[in-house]
Amino acid sequence: MPLLKDGRLVGEDAFQPVADDAALPESGAVLVTYARWQAEKEQLSGRNDPLGIVLPNTLDVLDFGAEAERFDLIVLTFPKFSDGRAYSQARLLRERFGYRGELRATGHVLQDQLWAMQRSGFDAFEIPRDDAAEAFAKAISTFSHVYQPTGDGRVSALKQRLAIQNKDGRRKQEAAE
Amino acid sequence: MYEYDDIDQTLVDERVAQFRDQVARRLSGEISEDEFKPLRLQNGLYLQLHAYMLRIAIPYGTLSSRQLRGLAQIGCTYDRGWGHFTTRQNLQYNWIKLEETADALADLAKIQMHAIQTSGNCIRNTTTDQFAGAAHDEIEDPRVWCEIIRQWSTFHPEFSFLPRKFKIAVTGSPNDRAAVRVHDIGLRMHKNAAGEIGFEVIVGGGLGRTPFIGKTIRDFLPKQDLLSYLEAILRVYNQFGRRDNLYKARIKILVHEIGIEAMREKVEAEFAASKDGALKLPQDAIDQIAAQFAPPAFEKLSGISAEYANAFRTDFEFGLWARRNTFKHKQPGYSIVTISLKKEGAPPGDASAEQMNAVADIADRYSFGEIRVTHEQNLVLAHVKQSDLPAVFKALKAYDLATPNVGLASDIIACPGLDYCALANARSIPIAQQIALRFKNWERAHDIGELKIKISGCINACGHHHVGHIGILGVDKAGEEFYQITLGGAADEQAAIGDLIGPALNTRDAVDAIDTLVETYLRLRNSSDERFLDTYRRVGLAPFKEAVYAVA
Amino acid sequence: MAKAPKLNSQPQVVTANHLLSGDVVYLTKAASWSRRIADAAVVANVEAGAALLAEAETQAKKNIVIAPYLIPVDASVTPPKPIQYREVLRAEGPSTEKARPAA
Repeated sequence: MPLLKDGRLVGEDAFQPVADDAALPESGAVLVTYARWQAEKEQLSGRNDPLGIVLPNTLDVLDFGAEAERFDLIVLTFPKFSDGRAYSQARLLRERFGYRGELRATGHVLQDQLWAMQRSGFDAFEIPRDDAAEAFAKAISTFSHVYQPTGDGRVSALKQRLAIQNKDGRRKQEAAE
Repeated sequence: MYEYDDIDQTLVDERVAQFRDQVARRLSGEISEDEFKPLRLQNGLYLQLHAYMLRIAIPYGTLSSRQLRGLAQIGCTYDRGWGHFTTRQNLQYNWIKLEETADALADLAKIQMHAIQTSGNCIRNTTTDQFAGAAHDEIEDPRVWCEIIRQWSTFHPEFSFLPRKFKIAVTGSPNDRAAVRVHDIGLRMHKNAAGEIGFEVIVGGGLGRTPFIGKTIRDFLPKQDLLSYLEAILRVYNQFGRRDNLYKARIKILVHEIGIEAMREKVEAEFAASKDGALKLPQDAIDQIAAQFAPPAFEKLSGISAEYANAFRTDFEFGLWARRNTFKHKQPGYSIVTISLKKEGAPPGDASAEQMNAVADIADRYSFGEIRVTHEQNLVLAHVKQSDLPAVFKALKAYDLATPNVGLASDIIACPGLDYCALANARSIPIAQQIALRFKNWERAHDIGELKIKISGCINACGHHHVGHIGILGVDKAGEEFYQITLGGAADEQAAIGDLIGPALNTRDAVDAIDTLVETYLRLRNSSDERFLDTYRRVGLAPFKEAVYAVA
Repeated sequence: MAKAPKLNSQPQVVTANHLLSGDVVYLTKAASWSRRIADAAVVANVEAGAALLAEAETQAKKNIVIAPYLIPVDASVTPPKPIQYREVLRAEGPSTEKARPAA
């Protein structure tokens, strides 16, 4: 499955997924499920290598958020593109809990959802197409403005307009002086 | 009214380009119908029985004359010269081709309009009082808040794939003309004890398969917190609303299942964590939007205009119309005019391109070039000088737009029904037409007085049958159209869900039953001031039921 | 939407909507699509119905039509008349527009 990170295709995923009933490798970056994390917190926390976790989209991330910073990768799932729960999980992790690691979307990830995903805080996408980078570039340049603030740094239309109004106001004031 | 700036215009233009590309990818086979369907729906394009249907958003039901002319033109170019105004203050074209849709949307963008989020499981067009900014009983113009909500909800990245559709309505008046108690979120503006204006927030109302009257989640919300609070509600809903069953996915079911207290706890916790964040509305931002809804340049008038008084006295037809179709304006010397799209025997809510152009011209001449759409499928001229009313009446009459029946039995709400809609079980328009014709006699209709009949062709309740004084629901009984009748519903500040009177009836019997119900009311009412609904509330279901189902 | 009846050995045709125009169409004997139900291929048993539908599905995959399905018809009249009311409306157009003058 092609993996897109920061808009570029990544050759190999650094994280090795480990099934719940499989033994953990001695070393290396691993990706575990939320259930395994719940069961083996101590052991997993003792590892020195990067740690990733897959969260089910039914999880109330308020119950997990405080632990987010221990992870280098959090994978959120879209069982079907029309199931939008992970958008809220992503925003909460980024904006409420300040998570700064990789936030990856997996499952039914389609070109026409990439814009919303990126705005919600995802920076990595498992997307089943060879031209994923082109699709991504196209998707995130669809709109030049945004109406609402999220944690993505874009300035909302409301704030843009206020800035214009203030600038105009200052210019008028300067002209008057 | 609100005019697009470069930001708004760029966004709708980019949306058209995006949709054009999506259609191309659908036609090339790059995306499947399953993947394409939600994309076209979020641009208002449905596949109905006979063709594609395009639903145009009319934000909070306000249109300029230029926009209405544009809609008429689009109706001629891409449809058959008609438009259908809906219970959500929107406009639908029934005969659209997929291959022409992007062009139609591009034409719409030229008149600062769009079809964004008129369908799909996202936040839909925000609706409000059709008399906003004009009504004498208004606390504040709710359209300012509708526009703020429109912008916040448009392309909201977190809420584009909710469990189900989401509808918000706002009223700025204690007399609720926007049916806020039967919306996913209803906002009622009011003053608190300190004299500040804010919102009562109502959540979990809705019609459809499981009708609920919304519950108050917060008595008073300061204005600057509106978006933070809405986002908190939506975030709770997006995460915890049911997704396992289409019929249980609306927020009303979540509120019902966990209870309003638990819902309030979750929302308030989310709100507490985010209220001082980026969504808090600065006063200058509110002012910037509010400036666009500044009242028009009213003339200072006093007393009753002589033209008006004279016409009222001498022209019987005019008097009838003025009594029924005008409403008190906040500005002395002005009236609000409701244009009935319910000529008896015509499909409720339909307007021809010719009629739309005529209304646009009349609005330019007599009402500051502004038109409103009502959720009861009529149009409104919000600011007409009383001295101009006789001329307006005459101009409307020339286009069959002066039927004096607003709020009367023939002013029926009806969804498109099985004549057009792929979801319907039975037709709505023909039964509406037949019922309306029974009340064509003006003397009888005016004697009966206010009577709200609402008809839906299926349980999804686009025709709001649950909240009709008389509600009619079309059902399919072994391949034949039958109709269930409910009584006592209301959509206003005393919102109520109607009671089922008994087994469904076939078309002929259902039309007869409406007559019987009305005759029963006339027999039972205490005085001509007691409306049908009041009588029903006083005497209950039994005498009505008996009258309809009595063995002949 | 009313549930489609279970089809047995009764006369039936395949209908769908044309992808580009949205128009109601019927599958013909020549495996093309017509806007007139009079042109529809009528079959009268489960196997033939399934074969007709399979052909239609293939064309749906080629993005010519959307969501084809079988409907029962009364084949004793010409043109064949759908049994379900909904399908009569699809075949004949909205009952409300018949009386309406073109604007």
